[in-house]
Amino acid sequence: MATVYATSVKFASSLKHSVGDYKLTGRTSTLRLVSMNWTKNGFPSLRSSRFRVCCAAKPETVQKVCDIVRKQLALSPESALTPESKFSDLGADSLDTVEIVMGLEEEFGINVEEDSSQNITTVQEAADLIEKLVQKKSEA
Amino acid sequence: MLSLKKRGALSMQISNFARGFFDSSSPLVPVALPSQRETHIWYIVPDEVQNTSLLNQYLKLLSSCERESMFRMSGDKLQKSSLLARTLVRTTLSRYTNCQITPRSFKFRKNTFGKPEIEWGHYEEWSPPALHFNVSHTSSLIACGVTVDKLVGVDVEEKQRKIKNDILSFARRYFSLHEVEHLHAILDPEIQRQEFIKLWTLKAYVKALGRGFSAAPFKTFTIRFRATRSDGLQVPTDLISEASEILVEAFDDPKSLSNNWQFGLLELANSHYAAICMEKENILEGKGNDFMKLKVWKTLPFVEDEYVSGTNAVKIICGLSQCLHL
Repeated sequence: MATVYATSVKFASSLKHSVGDYKLTGRTSTLRLVSMNWTKNGFPSLRSSRFRVCCAAKPETVQKVCDIVRKQLALSPESALTPESKFSDLGADSLDTVEIVMGLEEEFGINVEEDSSQNITTVQEAADLIEKLVQKKSEA
Repeated sequence: MLSLKKRGALSMQISNFARGFFDSSSPLVPVALPSQRETHIWYIVPDEVQNTSLLNQYLKLLSSCERESMFRMSGDKLQKSSLLARTLVRTTLSRYTNCQITPRSFKFRKNTFGKPEIEWGHYEEWSPPALHFNVSHTSSLIACGVTVDKLVGVDVEEKQRKIKNDILSFARRYFSLHEVEHLHAILDPEIQRQEFIKLWTLKAYVKALGRGFSAAPFKTFTIRFRATRSDGLQVPTDLISEASEILVEAFDDPKSLSNNWQFGLLELANSHYAAICMEKENILEGKGNDFMKLKVWKTLPFVEDEYVSGTNAVKIICGLSQCLHL
């Protein structure tokens, strides 16, 4: 059953949608509550990598990342910026990417290892990493 | 300023036959291969390329894969930059094959470290030269470095580049203690910013190198400069302007990166800093005479090439010496 959900979520997240359409992701994230593991304490465990696709970042997180990226790259208000937008396609070079990561660290109060920051190439990847780090921080 | 625009009678005939609509284009001028200790740099200034039929001519040189990547870029300016970068690589490399391999026919692949390299075909009566290249761009300048037999790396950065964050906050987060101290000691904000960009240009490159060997976070290596005193002794210096040699020390790696690589820094076209890095063939003691030699051309492929070494367009900062004549 979980596999079926995972497949349908995969299709949903591969559609290019702008930030305004994030209700779609919201719906799939309620699906994940059913298929998540529960630890002894009764708190949900997000560790299983099988469910990574379901655990899309919150819309507010994605929006904040978009704002930081827009500011760093000085994008015009009309230029398209979706969660799947690649930084390099938007004209970001290595210095921009490092500055974006620094901006994210300040905004979310997290610390991003340089190894992880190398894997951030889109808004979505940044948002997912942030949520992971914020979660880890609150668990600590 | 030495202009290499050659338009002999024969080449006129060839260009008329081959190029049709763009009347004033010339064929690519072939260039002799770099010698052992030479690095060649070719650069193009995107804002000076406006002619749409010329750009269309360049578009024909790209592979379908490169064209797709180019059209994925967001906006005209970025697409043009992508087009010119690929055009620069293809036309530059073609020159070093005596134009026997046309710009369009080059194939590329990524090596084990993800670095693009030439994939040569099979040729009956010709051995391809062991060319290495690397391209770097900013919105206002694209540069391609070429060497023979040794790996080369180029990184360019606008001198006027402003970062969004405070320079010292950025440095404290990402640079080593020595580098932070060096920046902190500079009182003039404009000079501090320029020194930051010089350091960044070098560090970003070394980091890219490091990825191939042992992904080194920024803080684990330091860039130091050495100056050669009048008595020949080499002493440490904090001033990039005085430095004759750039050293890279990795804290946790006993075999420092400087052992295998030589670094140089220069100012290009009065507008950019360029860091160059070339593999050393053996572990030299780093005496002042062993600098990389540099030859620099400014180009508008099929229109004009200009050898700019020895002019104001090329100012060595450290670690390099110029070939003043071709």
